[in-house]
Amino acid sequence: MTLTDVRPARAGRGPAPNRARNRDTFMLMLPALIPVLVLSVGPLVYGIMLAFTDARSGRNTETSFVGLANFGDLLTDVDFWESFRIGMIWAVSVTVLQFLASLGLALLLDQDLRLRGFARVLALVPWAMPPVVIGLMWRLVYHPDAGILNAVLGTDVDWLNDFSVALPAVILVGIWMGMPQTTVVLLAGLQNVPKELHEAAGVDGAGVWRRFWNVTLPQLRPVIVAITSLDFVWNINQFSLVYVLTQGGPGGRTRLPMLFAYEEAFRYGFFGYAATLGVAITIVVLAVLGVYLWRQMREAD
Amino acid sequence: MRRWSAALAVAAVVLAAGCSGGGGDGGDAASDGPVKLRFLSLAWQKESIAANKQLVDEWNTANPKIQVEYVQGSWDNVNDQLVTSFEAGDPPDVIHDDSPALSGFASRGFLLDLSSTLPAELKGDIPQAAWDTVTFGDGKGGQGVYGVPFLQESQVLFANKKLLDASGVRVPTSDDPWTWDEFAAATKKMTKGGAYGVAWPMKSPVNKVLSLGLNFGGTFFTTEGGKTTVKVGPEEREVLRRIHDQLHKDKSADPSALGMGTADPLPGFFAGKYAIVPAGVYLRQQVAEQAPDGFEWVTLPPLKGVTAQQGATSQTLSVAADSKHPQESVKFISFFLNGPNQARLAKGDWLLPTSTAAAADPAMTTKDNFWDVATASAKNLVVAPYLKVNGYDEWKSKVGTPTLQEYFAGKISLDEAAKKLVEEGDKVLERYAQ
Repeated sequence: MTLTDVRPARAGRGPAPNRARNRDTFMLMLPALIPVLVLSVGPLVYGIMLAFTDARSGRNTETSFVGLANFGDLLTDVDFWESFRIGMIWAVSVTVLQFLASLGLALLLDQDLRLRGFARVLALVPWAMPPVVIGLMWRLVYHPDAGILNAVLGTDVDWLNDFSVALPAVILVGIWMGMPQTTVVLLAGLQNVPKELHEAAGVDGAGVWRRFWNVTLPQLRPVIVAITSLDFVWNINQFSLVYVLTQGGPGGRTRLPMLFAYEEAFRYGFFGYAATLGVAITIVVLAVLGVYLWRQMREAD
Repeated sequence: MRRWSAALAVAAVVLAAGCSGGGGDGGDAASDGPVKLRFLSLAWQKESIAANKQLVDEWNTANPKIQVEYVQGSWDNVNDQLVTSFEAGDPPDVIHDDSPALSGFASRGFLLDLSSTLPAELKGDIPQAAWDTVTFGDGKGGQGVYGVPFLQESQVLFANKKLLDASGVRVPTSDDPWTWDEFAAATKKMTKGGAYGVAWPMKSPVNKVLSLGLNFGGTFFTTEGGKTTVKVGPEEREVLRRIHDQLHKDKSADPSALGMGTADPLPGFFAGKYAIVPAGVYLRQQVAEQAPDGFEWVTLPPLKGVTAQQGATSQTLSVAADSKHPQESVKFISFFLNGPNQARLAKGDWLLPTSTAAAADPAMTTKDNFWDVATASAKNLVVAPYLKVNGYDEWKSKVGTPTLQEYFAGKISLDEAAKKLVEEGDKVLERYAQ
């Protein structure tokens, strides 16, 4: 209370009513802030703190502060970097291919088709499914004996257990799963492209391809940057899909970094190291995203 | 500023309420109502779930003061589930698991040491060899018994009777089983007309290979001065090489079966595509139920190398260290796993009971569905060294599985595989040595 007694005297010349208003604003925000602090910031800070300890699973374990030792281990952990490499292949290819496929679908749904409303609803269906259900469904599709894929293609491939096919097979499911969001956002973006621009370009003799390249794409640019960045973050953090589809197999070929961190914590019990992995992945994702956004912004200027 | 302190007071009250809510659970134990136990069961075959539930019902009727709640779990994720519930301090009281998983939980102090609380009757009914599969270090230098072993599995061979008879090879018996050489020769003979002699399903190769490795005295791990390291010497290489030869030299094993789980080759087996499928005894249930009419099959006894020994893994019931009713839990386990009940559970799961009383049950020695062959194979089960290795699970998933899969797929040589198993494996085990 001493602080508060002194303050008015010191700030005598300042705009006192203004400060009071600020305080009121803060008090009004407090109820909304508490859940954020307790449920979001709290666990986040706790997780970051864990990353600097040797916390392990166990009833009588003692946790001590180990500084950067976990990060040192991380740098030499071949298994993690292999998993990280797989994660980058996964995230980049899913994001890029998903974007291309969704753009095509969005352009199609933007046309004046018959049953357009129905088709748009259909395109949203995968969004309504939880990832676990999607995983189970695709496991059936890929089943070597009873799966529809082998039946249609007339092949005899064990899609999810073959060393070379497993990752592409999982990537395909990832693309399928994320298409609705991307399509809807791109479709909304397409509908905001002014018709006049197309008409003007048409008058100038630009063909369909030209108009797409020089009118539609530049107009869509902010939307594209936003959705691809979000997709990338979403994809590199993907966990449930691989957990259900392959559990990281065969032989770790689909062990995405988040699955790796999960196993460290909940299978082997190294909580501290797993937290370090989480922090490291966050840093790398932020760095990649930073570079991407910075380049996009610069080009936009 | 008064508003500030009011807000802080509110926050403090909320926090205090939260804390007392978490800590107030322990007080109910003394109340008069029946003691409630939670029993996490991993039974998954239909008959087995029925047997488990029926036993729980019988117990609940006979013991109104100790009520057991049946909780269904799954082998797929039981250990992840247990880690979280142990850490949260609210595990099920009675836990069904298998012996390889117990070692880690025991050393972390999550399981109750049962060595002094088990009734003599139960102790005497189960042979020492089975108790050895659940005896582990407690993480503080001592040893304890961390579960009651009740169902065991041995690896046998399932053969298509028509193809076996047509090949003219000697039919092995429990007293005179095939050696690995005879097995190789037989599968070579049976490989013809588009059929393969054998299908090795190797989706999870590690336990299978390490268990069979004991046929030639391969232990895969050695412990010296308290430090465990991986070892892949001549003994360990025998089984690896022999399976590899069938795949790549004799071409008597179908390489496309490698990615399969244990039960996956069955459609091919029924169709006559594979003459022999090696698998655990429990697979008899699926073979018996799914075999098309007119399909004749036999169960052949385990193979013999230098010995016919195999690594025993047991299914177990354990009590959580955090259980509020450990005595009642032990009582329930003693009932659940007595001789007659074990026989019922074994029948439900088509596995081998550890109880000597249950093994003598006529149902366990009948010729129907080759129970006689299965039960006879139990004498070959010994404690596998890998059961006691702290960090085995991580070694298995990060090093063992990928390396063996690559070796069997012909991507790396035996020397390369051995080097990987040892060098990368030792690195993993080091984390657990502290």
